[in-house]
Amino acid sequence: MGDSTTNGVDPILEADDLTLRFGGVTALDNVSFHVNPGELFAVIGPNGAGKTSIFNCLNGVYRPERGSIRLEGWEVVGQRPVAIARRGIGRTFQNLGLFMNLDLIDNLMLGRHLQMKTGFLAGALWWGRARREEVENRGRVEEIIELLELQTQRYTPVGLLPYGLQKRVELGRALAMEPRLLLLDEPVAGMNLEETEDMARYIIEVNHELGVPVILVEHDMAMVMDIADRVMALDFGMAIATGNPADVQSNPDVIAAYLGEPS
Amino acid sequence: MSGPWKDLKVRYQDDLRLFGSPTLRLGLVALVLAYLFIPVWWETFPVTRLIEGWGLTMTTLNYVGIFAIGALGLNLLTGYTGQVSLGHSVFVGVGAYFAAYAGATWDLPFWLWLPGATLLGFAVGVLIGPFALRLRGNYLVVVTLGLVFVGDHVFRNWRSVTGGNAGVSVSKAPLEVGPIDFRDLTLFGHGFEKEQGFFWLIWGFVAITALLVKNIVRTRPGRALQAVRDRDIAAEIIGIDLFRYKTMAFAISSAIAAMAGGLYGTLQAYVSPIDFGLGIAIQYIAIIILGGLGTVHGSIIGALFVGALPRVIDGLAKDFDIPAVGGDKGGSGGILSVSSLNQIIFGLLIAGFLLLEPRGIAGIWARVKAYFKAWPFSY
Repeated sequence: MGDSTTNGVDPILEADDLTLRFGGVTALDNVSFHVNPGELFAVIGPNGAGKTSIFNCLNGVYRPERGSIRLEGWEVVGQRPVAIARRGIGRTFQNLGLFMNLDLIDNLMLGRHLQMKTGFLAGALWWGRARREEVENRGRVEEIIELLELQTQRYTPVGLLPYGLQKRVELGRALAMEPRLLLLDEPVAGMNLEETEDMARYIIEVNHELGVPVILVEHDMAMVMDIADRVMALDFGMAIATGNPADVQSNPDVIAAYLGEPS
Repeated sequence: MSGPWKDLKVRYQDDLRLFGSPTLRLGLVALVLAYLFIPVWWETFPVTRLIEGWGLTMTTLNYVGIFAIGALGLNLLTGYTGQVSLGHSVFVGVGAYFAAYAGATWDLPFWLWLPGATLLGFAVGVLIGPFALRLRGNYLVVVTLGLVFVGDHVFRNWRSVTGGNAGVSVSKAPLEVGPIDFRDLTLFGHGFEKEQGFFWLIWGFVAITALLVKNIVRTRPGRALQAVRDRDIAAEIIGIDLFRYKTMAFAISSAIAAMAGGLYGTLQAYVSPIDFGLGIAIQYIAIIILGGLGTVHGSIIGALFVGALPRVIDGLAKDFDIPAVGGDKGGSGGILSVSSLNQIIFGLLIAGFLLLEPRGIAGIWARVKAYFKAWPFSY
């Protein structure tokens, strides 16, 4: 796809001049990027470069001091996380944000929280509509279970699942939200080769077949280079290179950030 | 015997049924029969002698029912939403005093004052909840502990409503539903004692409350509560409004407590501030810990345990000489009284359960079930 500001399509997400400070630490320093519809956009960088901080700004967990984030033209900065979720940003966490005591079905059904309407009264009375809604959404959840091949674990509390499967459940929960944009925070961290390949396949399926644009934060360079359309490299909160994977990989600043300056 | 295919689920509806398996349906029938016939059996002398010998009088079972209702409310807040509250007894008090006042001053009928007490509990919960729930963990415990003392102060000093330290009578609150008066029940030309009428009344409300709470926790709002308990930041990211759901959990829990309070007042016929102090609040915590945090049946099992055990020990102390316990059949000496023995046993049970089986009796039950499901294999 190359650097695609010029291809005439309106980007789904535009971030301009994001700046975020914690006391004296500048976590993000004038970071700008955009994500095109259907794109798989990767963010790379050494530990502490500010990758997860970008996600927290996109989710409304952090509020950047300066800059703007527009999701399909809607200003994200200053909104509460719930309002942002309602606009369709789904996310997985680096160190798992699952509801460990609940089973897989309940975790995925929770992903459909915003797609459902049942309140306390309707739920308590198990009215026709509440019951219909449960059944309908259970059907949607089953589609995700099938897509991610989780059929054998429906009623297992997710806290008892192995780590690789937990990561997959979290991807499923984000998908259940029917997101307009999906943020994946290190989906293959700590995984072996087979698990990484499986996860890469699921991410590609989600991106290509469901057409969901994805922002991927990842340390596994081999995977990023294989599946990303465009890559942004961060170092100490600054975007040092953005472009197609091969260009970013051979960029001297990026090499210096990972390996240190040649002396 | 029905084969396994009888259990085969082919529609999601089947998977969502509360009593989905033949065993569960059999259990439901047994419970309904017990509900209908326990008060009747109680009249036959041999049965009465037997269970009263164990300390299980009709009155004990009625108090257990009220504890169960209150515990269902607290479990929704503490077990399902993860917000520990030591202030539950205050809301029980709100309901009881409302029943006393509404019965004596306004002469409201049963179908108005009980919903009224419940709504009042809800309203007070909505007012207090937002302040308390800004805090979490230990801080929330301390704030709700403060609530107990504020409640106690109000109950002791708002004399026109609560009767102050001396308390107030609740016997004027009517218990009539249409032609049926639960205080003086006559069915099919047979007159029943007050205790029998109360059993059907109270345990009917236990069943209704349990069903409503179960329905909440298995649908969208209840899942949201459990998400808040397990991982609040992740819950927010998937669109759950933390503040709204915590407040609702607090308010519904208070409403249920107030309903239990109204029934408690009419059962005891007289309430005073000592009925709604810290001891009672801790007793509710003990019920849900022993019974099982985050389970509906655990609230009821725990209430049975906590409500009945002191009576059983009292009963045993009359028949047997318990070493080192004075005032029992052996009579003289001993370093403990029966009531302090009760408290020691409770303390040990709570500590023991927290250490060995944090999921409570419901957790033990789940393990027994899992064992027999896999039997004769061990995995």
